[in-house]
Amino acid sequence: MAKVYGFCNLHDAPRLGKLTEKRPIGTVSFLGRYGLMDFTLSNFSNSGIDRVGILVDRSLHSVVSHVRDGSIWVNNTKTGGQRLFYNENNPSSKFNTDVNNLLANRLHFEDIDADYVVIAPSFFIMSIDYRKYIEKHIDSGNKISLIYKKVKNAKEQFLNCDVVKMDNHLVKNFSINMGTAKEAAISLETFIFDYKTFVELVNKTREISTLFNIRDLVNYCATNGVYNVNAFSFDGYVAPVLTFDDFVKCSMDLLSYENRKELFKEDWPIYTTTHNTPPAQYGENANVSNSFVSNGSRVKGTVINSILSRDVIVEEGAEVRDCILFSGTKVGKGSKLQYVVADKNVKIKEVRNVKGDEDHFLYISFGANI
Amino acid sequence: MSHNVVAMILAGGKGTRLGLLTKKMAKPAVSFAAKYRIIDFPLSNCANSGINTIGVLTQYEPTILDSYIGNGEKWGFNGVHALLTSCAPRQTDEGANWYKGTADAITQNIDFLDGLQPDYVLILSGDHIYKTTYNEMIDLHVETGADATISVIEVDPKEASRFGIMAVDKTDRITEFQEKPKKPKSNLASMGVYVFTWKVLRKYLMADKALDTNHDFGGDIIPAMLKDGLKLQAYRFKGYWRDVGTLDSLHEANMDVALNRSDLDLYGGYSTRIFTEDTYSLPHYLGREGSIKSSIANQGAIILGNVNSSVISNEVLIEEDAIVDRCVVMEGSTIKRGAKIRNAIVAPYTTIEAGVEVNMNNDEIILVGGKVVR
Repeated sequence: MAKVYGFCNLHDAPRLGKLTEKRPIGTVSFLGRYGLMDFTLSNFSNSGIDRVGILVDRSLHSVVSHVRDGSIWVNNTKTGGQRLFYNENNPSSKFNTDVNNLLANRLHFEDIDADYVVIAPSFFIMSIDYRKYIEKHIDSGNKISLIYKKVKNAKEQFLNCDVVKMDNHLVKNFSINMGTAKEAAISLETFIFDYKTFVELVNKTREISTLFNIRDLVNYCATNGVYNVNAFSFDGYVAPVLTFDDFVKCSMDLLSYENRKELFKEDWPIYTTTHNTPPAQYGENANVSNSFVSNGSRVKGTVINSILSRDVIVEEGAEVRDCILFSGTKVGKGSKLQYVVADKNVKIKEVRNVKGDEDHFLYISFGANI
Repeated sequence: MSHNVVAMILAGGKGTRLGLLTKKMAKPAVSFAAKYRIIDFPLSNCANSGINTIGVLTQYEPTILDSYIGNGEKWGFNGVHALLTSCAPRQTDEGANWYKGTADAITQNIDFLDGLQPDYVLILSGDHIYKTTYNEMIDLHVETGADATISVIEVDPKEASRFGIMAVDKTDRITEFQEKPKKPKSNLASMGVYVFTWKVLRKYLMADKALDTNHDFGGDIIPAMLKDGLKLQAYRFKGYWRDVGTLDSLHEANMDVALNRSDLDLYGGYSTRIFTEDTYSLPHYLGREGSIKSSIANQGAIILGNVNSSVISNEVLIEEDAIVDRCVVMEGSTIKRGAKIRNAIVAPYTTIEAGVEVNMNNDEIILVGGKVVR
């Protein structure tokens, strides 16, 4: 059996406005209890990849407090495990690339006992079995592979992603999706490398450009014929979280069972950090419909078309419609919220109306008192 | 925790009154309040008391309980100086024995306790629901110089004859123990929670071993200590405490949480949190046409029907137009479309078929399991 090492790549990721001001995209709360990176880490775990490096671009503390020691999703804590890769030299500069992160941690990066590496971002939410693609990669004899998805909504979603041009299942090059065509092959920025090739390429990158990320490197290799790059298609459910509005849409889309069953499969658990919260509690006048409610929450009022994270309190007479409330949000008596994303520990006092726009939800900052 | 205390949790009983809930599983492993198992309560209480060395005495159907206990990580007992282990009866050079009584279970593990060299041993029951820390009780034991301290709770004097009753003097020193007395001398009922000075207990266990008794703490060890004039102190426990050994009491205690009517506050008090296993499931989902009132629900549940005054555990599915009223629905169960059920405990992985009515016109609590068809 081939030895495979996974990299969960938090570099080179979109920003979701204020949601990612103090945290990387990987730890943004999703569907009430997950961090976005849980999907990638669970994909590794479920694919039997038990050793993972997390390439952290910034907000190390947020990542550490989310993934802890990795025992949440690692199968064997001795033979498996996670390592955080963090470039302490230039966390806020344009040189803070995944490649420079690996080079800054060269001692560890070059000492991995692996035949292949899989590199995946945290902003494409999907359930994917990497084993299938690793096999195809090995069979192809090529050193690099890329996983893409054919989409039919490239004018509205997947903007600024890479559109892959290919020839006979090999990548020719890729370029930014400007929303010019409905149909496109979108790169899921998930790559498989022969480990030795990967090390060699990363070490050579600075000779080409000091600004390159891994995806630039892949594009360079394909465009200039340095290596053949396989293009493998993934046809499962992908929720692209590239903007704040995407975040809202991808969350709300999953209130639908039809979508949910495509992402959450019985044999493909999504692991996450536990918080020891009791079950959610509903009062005698609670009125709840089409919503996710997480443990620790206490609902006495109305909650419709919404997603409540843990420890959210909705008091008597309060109304929450079309909202995403992060953990610890408190909605006081008689308050009404609609089209709102409330970050952690927002307190909305009695009798307030807070309303965003259906097409652009209102964001309330971490810990705000209204 | 400044004292050297080891806790021993009695978890070996058969729990026959819980019917099929304990058919293949020890009572302490039975589900409680949608997310927990009963043993989470004494184990979390120990963790919150700073007691990190614990033996769980198992006997009846221990497999599920043992695998649940695992390395103790769920309650934080996987730290450097912590130890949580299950102690099942074993074959020794004296032969093979089952645990013949609560005291005998400890006697057969004297080597385990000797190895740990505790000053005090805390004896707990694995089937009680309560949130506490034991520190105050242990402090009282040490301060009064007692040989044994027994946790007692005030019960309705009319009900006192159903319990083991402690008669006490002005200083709460125990003067007499009455097992289910016709004429109770007090209303202080034993909770089956004891602190013993280990050296003293060890002596009495060894003496009891040779006797033809029931080898029971309440029936044999405590009376023997009283007879010898040892100092036995009562510790008055204040707060919520329930023995959930019957279907009625298990249902009632679950309702206490669902209806938020007791001071078993699972939501408050960071220092007395109850720890448990976590499942890898989505937050629970409430459908467009369903409703939920006066209830609790755990992650993984999908509620498309109507739920009132109930406890909905993880991975429970309640389909459209189903009615669930005053029920405890345990993990993995399905109440299908249009089914109605009331005043019931629904065992794990039960299916109530579509349109079936269960116990709708009966106030008695029933237990249902398997596949319930029309």
